[in-house]
Amino acid sequence: MSGARTDALIAALAADARPIAPLAPPLHRALTILGAIVVVSLVAIAWRGDVGGLLARYAGREHMMALESIAMLATGVLAVVGAFFLSIPGTSRRWMLAPVVPFVAWVTLSGAGCYDHFLRNSASGWGLGHSIDCLLFILAVSLVLAIPLIWRLSRASPIDPLPVAILGGLGTASLAALLLQFFHPFAVTFLDLGVHLFAIILVVAAMAAFRRGALVR
Amino acid sequence: MLAAAQRGDGEAYRRFLQAATPFARALARRRSWSPDMAEDIVQDALLTLHRVRHTYQPGRPVKPWLAAIVARRAIDAMRKRGRIDRGEVNAPFAYETFADPQANQADTQDAARTVAGMMMGLTPGQREALELVKLREMTLSEASSVSGQSVALLKVNIHRAIKKLRLGVARGKEE
Repeated sequence: MSGARTDALIAALAADARPIAPLAPPLHRALTILGAIVVVSLVAIAWRGDVGGLLARYAGREHMMALESIAMLATGVLAVVGAFFLSIPGTSRRWMLAPVVPFVAWVTLSGAGCYDHFLRNSASGWGLGHSIDCLLFILAVSLVLAIPLIWRLSRASPIDPLPVAILGGLGTASLAALLLQFFHPFAVTFLDLGVHLFAIILVVAAMAAFRRGALVR
Repeated sequence: MLAAAQRGDGEAYRRFLQAATPFARALARRRSWSPDMAEDIVQDALLTLHRVRHTYQPGRPVKPWLAAIVARRAIDAMRKRGRIDRGEVNAPFAYETFADPQANQADTQDAARTVAGMMMGLTPGQREALELVKLREMTLSEASSVSGQSVALLKVNIHRAIKKLRLGVARGKEE
C-alpha cells in the first residue's frame, strides 16, 4: 500500500467524521461499575448471607478476617480499575502490577489461616471441604459480575485486549471470592484454598480466551 | 483538532489525521523492515485510531495515545509477518512440475487466468469484501470503514464469494 492510498484513507475517514461522545475518565467508569457491584453484593448478603457464621469462624482472629477481606477487596478493586485504565491507548502498562501486592497478601493470609486450621484440626485440615460448591460459586458469581464489566470495558474497544481481559477476570474472580466469604459457613482448608485459586485461574483464562469477541467492537 | 473531530468536524479531523501521519510513519519505520510494511502499519493505525477515537480524552496529550496505537499495530504486523514466514517455505523448485521452465509458466498463467476468471464472476462488493478481509487480513470493522459496506453485508458477501469460488473450482475439476 502506498502513500497515495494513505491519503485516500485519510479522506475516507474524515468523510466519516460524525459526532461521538468521548469516554468518561477510566477511574470514573471503574468506580461506577464497582459501585453497582457493591450495591448488588450488599443486597445479596443481606438476603442470603451468613454474616454470623463468618464472625463465628473467625472468632478470636477478627483482625485476620479483616486483613484477608481487605486484601481480596483491594485485589478486585485494583484489578478492575487497572482493566479500565489499560483499555485506553497510551496508559502505563504498570497497571498490570497494581493488584499483585494485595493478591500476594491475600494468598499469604489465607495460607496462614489454612495452616492455623490444619494445626487445630490435624488431618481434616487437608480435607476437601465444600470445594466443588466454592468452585461453582466463584465461577457463577464471576460470570454474573463479568457481564456488566465486559459491557463497560468493551465501550473502549481496547487495542490490546489481553491485559484488559486478564485484569478484568482477576477483578471479577477476586470479588466473587470475597463474596464467597459471606456464604461459606466453614473454615478453609489448604485444598479449598487451592480450589479457590484454580477457580480464579479458570475465570482469568476464560476472559483471556474470549477477549477479542467480548472486548473488541 | 482531535477534540473538534470528536464533535463531528470533518475538516478538523482531516487536518488532524494529516498532521498525525508523519509522526505515525516515523514510529512505524522504526518498527518495520520495509517502507511498504511501515505504510501498512500507518494505514492500520489510522483505521484503529478511527475506531477508538472516542477513547481520547480532550485536554490530555495526544502523542502517547497515538504512539500506543501505532506500536500496537506494528506488533500485530510483525506477528502476522512471523506467522506467514513460519508457514512459507522458500523452495522455488517445489512449484515446478516440468524441467523446462516455459512449460511451468504456461500452467501458472493458466491457473492465474482461471482464478482471475472466477474472481470476475463475483460482484464488485463480493470482490472487495474478499480482498479486504481474506487477502489483506483486515478486521470486519476495518474493512467496513474502508469499503463503506456494513459488517453484516461484508459477512454475506464473503460467504457468497467463497461459495461461488468453490463452485467454480468444482466445475473446473469436472471439466
